[in-house]
Amino acid sequence: MSLISLEDVTVAYDNKINILEKFNLNVEKGKLISLLGPSGCGKTTTLRLIAGFLEAKAGKFTFKDKNYTNIPVYRRNFGFVFQNYALFPHLNVFENVAFGLKQRKVPKSEIRKRVPEMLELVDLNGFEDRFVTELSGGQRQRVAIARALVINPDLLLFDEPLSNLDANLRIAMRVEIRRIQQELGITSIYVSHDQEECFSISDEVAIMNKGVIEQLDSPSVIYKYPKTEFVARFIGFTNFIDFEVESSENGKLLLNSNHSKFRALKTNDVKVNKSYKGVIRPESIKMKSYIENEKQSENSIKGSIKISTFLGGLHQYVVNTELGEITVNSDREPPYDAGENVILSLPEDKLVLVEKG
Amino acid sequence: MNKKYFYLLLLPCFLFLLIFMVIPILVTTLSSFYLDGRITLEGYRSFLTDHYFLNILFRTLRISLLTTTICIILGFPVAYYVSKLNVKLKFIFIAAAVFPLLISPVVRSFSWMAILGREGIFNTLLKKIGIINEPIQFLYTELAIVIGLVHLFLPLMIIALIGVMENIDYDLVKAAQSLGASRFTSFIKIVFPLSVPGLVVGSVLVFVGSLTAYTTPQLLGGSRRVMSTLLYQQSLTLNNWYTASIIATIMIVATFIIIGIMNKIAQKLNPKG
Repeated sequence: MSLISLEDVTVAYDNKINILEKFNLNVEKGKLISLLGPSGCGKTTTLRLIAGFLEAKAGKFTFKDKNYTNIPVYRRNFGFVFQNYALFPHLNVFENVAFGLKQRKVPKSEIRKRVPEMLELVDLNGFEDRFVTELSGGQRQRVAIARALVINPDLLLFDEPLSNLDANLRIAMRVEIRRIQQELGITSIYVSHDQEECFSISDEVAIMNKGVIEQLDSPSVIYKYPKTEFVARFIGFTNFIDFEVESSENGKLLLNSNHSKFRALKTNDVKVNKSYKGVIRPESIKMKSYIENEKQSENSIKGSIKISTFLGGLHQYVVNTELGEITVNSDREPPYDAGENVILSLPEDKLVLVEKG
Repeated sequence: MNKKYFYLLLLPCFLFLLIFMVIPILVTTLSSFYLDGRITLEGYRSFLTDHYFLNILFRTLRISLLTTTICIILGFPVAYYVSKLNVKLKFIFIAAAVFPLLISPVVRSFSWMAILGREGIFNTLLKKIGIINEPIQFLYTELAIVIGLVHLFLPLMIIALIGVMENIDYDLVKAAQSLGASRFTSFIKIVFPLSVPGLVVGSVLVFVGSLTAYTTPQLLGGSRRVMSTLLYQQSLTLNNWYTASIIATIMIVATFIIIGIMNKIAQKLNPKG
């Protein structure tokens, strides 16, 4: 049984358009799961619904087998970390962290013990008397995390917690967040629009689009085997080729596109005689110069270089083929010239079929 | 622009205030220490030992304090509500709050006389319902002055509070609730202390306004004088400019003391404010 379960939840702002409709999500205990998607996809709405800041129009939210749908925010015991930190500007660091404990009527002597412990966990010992306005962005977010953690929350919710920090600090902080989350084994839900951030810290990532989870898997599975065209595009696949499935045997697919035959591994549930998008990353395609009368290996196609762009360590080429334009990365020196004829080969384990979006 | 001459921007306003405010105040204040060709505190001694004068001083302070308190109690919930509205509704509400300021205090006081008088709307209504047999004396009481002043100054309190409250990040309230604070507790612990700067500005405006208001207490207070009406009587009716300058000085000092106390309270409630 999952720790968190949202069943057929519908949410609308001001009773207008439904942001979420019949939305479902299950989260296992101890996991860090990310909700990732473009703005307006409903990820923050989902998080705020779980936190209790929003009410569902329909549906049920179950936590630890109890119906939480109508339990108010302040009785949920969930820690929430805000994008803009939301630290209390009129209180110092100690009072900010102690706020939740005071609401729980924890004795003063214990507050004086637990607050410094928590500040030590986020590497801010000695900052008790500072005011929030005297802290840097990174320090503020650490205080916010300490404040959310000190109450021993049953669940930790992050709403784009790093998007106001500069790039270097973001990387350092996400390592920190992952360390703390694993150290305490606390179930967490993390919302972000930054793919790298989500992939680096999550056990599982849910890619959302228009109020629907398109795919929920471990980061490595999503990275290699997207299920839908939207997911593939969102996580950086650039080549989308139309294929029809001719046959499917022993986990291997025979594909047809514009009278060329290709092979691919069956990673998703695909049906014979239906057409799909074949997606492949530019760095997965192998490219070599075309030599007249050479026997072509399987899964390869002839093309000519159309555009070449320098990307630092390598070049990115747009290649004209019978299947349309295909983007390929190559580090060959010297680089290919525009107009040069090449052979592209698409490794069968890198070519993934996804539902057309 | 050359930084050296930046202060010149202040000059016109500074000169205006110097000539028409600072110097007259200094002259008034200094003349209160000067009687029959010598410097003396005699005037203050006789004012502060005279029961009639002291009564008026305390009545004025009492009325101002009560007016300020009522304005806070009435204004706070309104300001909180309005500060959370969308831009369009907020504009309508603020316009509604400001609207009474367009009516002269004289007209407003006459309206209150029509409402609060012996044969006024209020007494007639109470008699109709049968709650009272004889009309109650509302007009020419301290209560009438307070009602008039609250009506006069409530908009200032509301506007001062909205100005501060609309800048409170509502995520702070959500954060407090996620940490276990109920709606009420999060209001008391978060919204209230963060509203203190507005509360202080509003309170100073209302208090000083009430302390110096002339028309309203003159028309609604009847024989119940306050400092400003006393000042008028001493200077223009009795031609006693010496006592008038003492009253003026006491009012100035009282104003500064009040502002000082308000700031102290503000620092206590909101050390970062």
